[in-house]
Amino acid sequence: MTQRRFAAILLAPAFLLVAFTTVYPMVTSLWTSLHVLNLAKSVQLGAFVGLENYQEAFVHDLEFWGVMRVTAVFVVLDVSLTILCALGIAMLLLRAGFGKSIVRTLIILPFAMSPALIGISWRFMLNPDYGAFARTIAAIFPAMRNVDYLASPTLSMMALVSADVWHWAPYFAFMLMGGLAAIPPETQEAARIDGASNWRVFRDVTLPQLAPVLIVAIILKSVFALKVFDSIVTMTAGGPGHSTTTLGFFAYHIGFRNYDFGYAAAVAYILTGILFLLSLSYMRFAFRK
Amino acid sequence: MTVIAHQASVAAAAAIRRRTSRQRKRAFLRVAEQLVLVLLAVIILFPIVWMVMTAFKSPRDVYVYTMWFQPTLENFSEVFNPRWRIREKIINSIVISVTTVIIAMPIAVFAAYAFSRLAFPMKRAMFQWILLTQFIPAVTIVLPFYVMFRQLGLLDTYAALIIVDLAIVLPYAIWTIKGFIDAIPLETEEAAIVDGAGRFRVLWDIVVPMARPGILTAAIFCFIITWNEFLFGYLLSRQNVVPLSVGIVGFVLERGPVWELIAATGIIITIPMFFFAMMIQRHFTKGMNLGAVR
Amino acid sequence: MAGVQFKRVSKRWGDFVGVRDLDLIVEDKEFLVLLGPSGCGKTTTMRMVAGLEEPSGGEIWIGEDMVNDMTPRERDVAMVFQNYGLYPHMSVRDNIGYPLKIRGLSKAEIIRMVDAAAAKVELGPYLDRKPGQLSGGQRQRVALARSLVRTPRVFLMDEPLSNLDAKLRVVMRAELKHLHHELQITTIYVTHDQMEAMTLATRIAVMNHGVIQQLAAPEVIYNDPANLFVAGFIGSPSMNLMSGKLADGTFHAAGLTVSGIGGGTRDNVVLGVRPEDVTVTATGSGLFDAPVYAFELTGESVLVTVTVAGKQIAARADRHFRCQIGDNVGVRFDAARTYLFDATTDERIRL
Repeated sequence: MTQRRFAAILLAPAFLLVAFTTVYPMVTSLWTSLHVLNLAKSVQLGAFVGLENYQEAFVHDLEFWGVMRVTAVFVVLDVSLTILCALGIAMLLLRAGFGKSIVRTLIILPFAMSPALIGISWRFMLNPDYGAFARTIAAIFPAMRNVDYLASPTLSMMALVSADVWHWAPYFAFMLMGGLAAIPPETQEAARIDGASNWRVFRDVTLPQLAPVLIVAIILKSVFALKVFDSIVTMTAGGPGHSTTTLGFFAYHIGFRNYDFGYAAAVAYILTGILFLLSLSYMRFAFRK
Repeated sequence: MTVIAHQASVAAAAAIRRRTSRQRKRAFLRVAEQLVLVLLAVIILFPIVWMVMTAFKSPRDVYVYTMWFQPTLENFSEVFNPRWRIREKIINSIVISVTTVIIAMPIAVFAAYAFSRLAFPMKRAMFQWILLTQFIPAVTIVLPFYVMFRQLGLLDTYAALIIVDLAIVLPYAIWTIKGFIDAIPLETEEAAIVDGAGRFRVLWDIVVPMARPGILTAAIFCFIITWNEFLFGYLLSRQNVVPLSVGIVGFVLERGPVWELIAATGIIITIPMFFFAMMIQRHFTKGMNLGAVR
Repeated sequence: MAGVQFKRVSKRWGDFVGVRDLDLIVEDKEFLVLLGPSGCGKTTTMRMVAGLEEPSGGEIWIGEDMVNDMTPRERDVAMVFQNYGLYPHMSVRDNIGYPLKIRGLSKAEIIRMVDAAAAKVELGPYLDRKPGQLSGGQRQRVALARSLVRTPRVFLMDEPLSNLDAKLRVVMRAELKHLHHELQITTIYVTHDQMEAMTLATRIAVMNHGVIQQLAAPEVIYNDPANLFVAGFIGSPSMNLMSGKLADGTFHAAGLTVSGIGGGTRDNVVLGVRPEDVTVTATGSGLFDAPVYAFELTGESVLVTVTVAGKQIAARADRHFRCQIGDNVGVRFDAARTYLFDATTDERIRL
């Protein structure tokens, strides 16, 4: 049996499955987005409307651009906070010392908790009367007493971001730890001997060498941020209003609340397009070897 | 002479002052580090600990912000009250996750072996493409599948959820197992070939046993992913196959969400996951360093 | 038991030619060593016999069969790998028995044959251990036992001793020689170590750049090298090689003249002479005098290196001889013990 034939046999099941669950929906979604499909009326595809659904999004729907803005804000906040925290945690945990090993074992826990569960937990703990977060913050900042976090657009956003950072920072801390550990210590020691202060060593020697891993981490986290869904459903339901509705949630809302599957498919495809661009840059940076 | 001695003692005193100030700075930093570590531990543990505490609080204590309470197990017994149908949901989750893992592992091992050892056209492109599927947003996938499953009458069935879960899980499994197979020396396989083993025999007798830690790691990780999966479970199930991860949202009465029951269920859901995550933590770090896409 | 024949066998990867038009007959029961530096094509050649590489051209015959299209299993060969290729998750017994298990032999048969093979390499007490619990030498013997257990037609060995320490290597060389004598199975052995080649081979095929430079018995390779490469590769320390020209049978190079070589008049030649044929004498009594550049005591002899016109010439002297770096000594060698090579073709000029 030739290698090719053997490879074909081995790959066939995986290939078929992945193709079915990705190529098929991608093509179907695109096709659907060019039609009218309202599930409240019929399961069959409606009239062909070309790019009308997309026009609806970009031109007519007032909410669409609001959603885009919310998405952008969320992604920027989420990614920057996660990566900064991850970097801090990574540097902290890389030094040997008492307590580091305990924290190192514990740190995986937030990642093992499902985002949906985290969403519910946060909602519980943000209740102004009995929520642990709300009461703790109120104890430190009396001005925050009786604030209904999930009723305020800004605070809801921050709550959502904090939940995602809590969930993902450990994963990225591990990634950055790997990157930091790969930097030859001689480069940092040489800089120290040359007279550089800790901050300068970090800025001029460590950071540039960490850059490749950092870039991959940022791109990856951006992808994950754009895919956030579960915690929105369980924590804020996209609200108050649409202030925490990201693009993905928006598509879900249009499809499963308004039953306008055609428009939903278009919005979903716009999101897919953005992710596709990100994936290209990820491929470029991650597979550079 | 005394001038020299004087200068020397001045220099020595300055050095001692510098040394102690440096020592003090170092001690201060060390304390600061410990404080930050403790703060980090608190931040990590606080939500978890609070949820655990809430699960053991009676309903009265839940709606009061307090650290001190009378622990009770009544929430756990209430959770299993038939009106919530928790037992069903637990079984659903187990069926879906276990079936997904059982189907995914052989498929992934085959594919991983092909990518690791065999040469064939467009190999690199195919591998990258398999990883790239992780970049497709779930909502783009769920819309057409919802329509298709509804047309086929497969909505609210195990098959539907298992199929989409397999899609989520397969790329990661292939990626992890491939890494482990890469580490097996080629010579060992060649020895088996010269000994007379056919291609499938080599895979079964030699490669699979040697890659067992990797296969186990991938299996556990896939189990965790499917166990916690929410979106597809939420949208593709109605009442028959609702998994636990979705069921947890259903504890609602007129007065609002029943937090203590949610917390209790949360513990039931998450404790096994914590346990598994600790088990594969070592391999976790190896995988993460290469930027695995979830 | 069978001979192996290569008919115009070649192996190419893109533009790179690993093995070039190889014609070689390995006689039945012979111990043929493929000797050469890394990258010369020796391992590739052997792997083509095993069926682990496909020839780009030509035919390979084992006994009466043309095996190009046969799987390794059908070829009935056994191979000992450089890193042994043992199955780490199986016991020694299962490792050795694996080729038998695949072929469906009965459990009783397998036990009998495994015990016999293990006895031959003295592994009896270790049969129930796993490879990870054995020393390097023991693992090598497991690999050997696994190849012996089913008396194949051809033995293939890919630098099997290179991972052993020096002492163990010497011991195993003798073991291999004994086994070959006992089993009389055709063996193709790959190595870059000329000592192994010299001691083990019935014939040596010296290879370089995918081509056989010389195929002959060890004494012939040593005493009658066919070209510059073989002359320089075999022998430790290597043969002294001096470029110069031949005028009427007398060799002229900068700083030295050797008469009585023969071969007429040629412009570009290389004269070779082995260090053990070069003697150190008192100044003035040899072919020429030269200052000592290095002096090495190897235990059984002494190596003296002198410089002549910028080149170095090594001589082997009696182990009690002493001198200092910088001393002037006389150097002498017999014209009859020299080798003449054409500098442009690298071929040996036989006189």
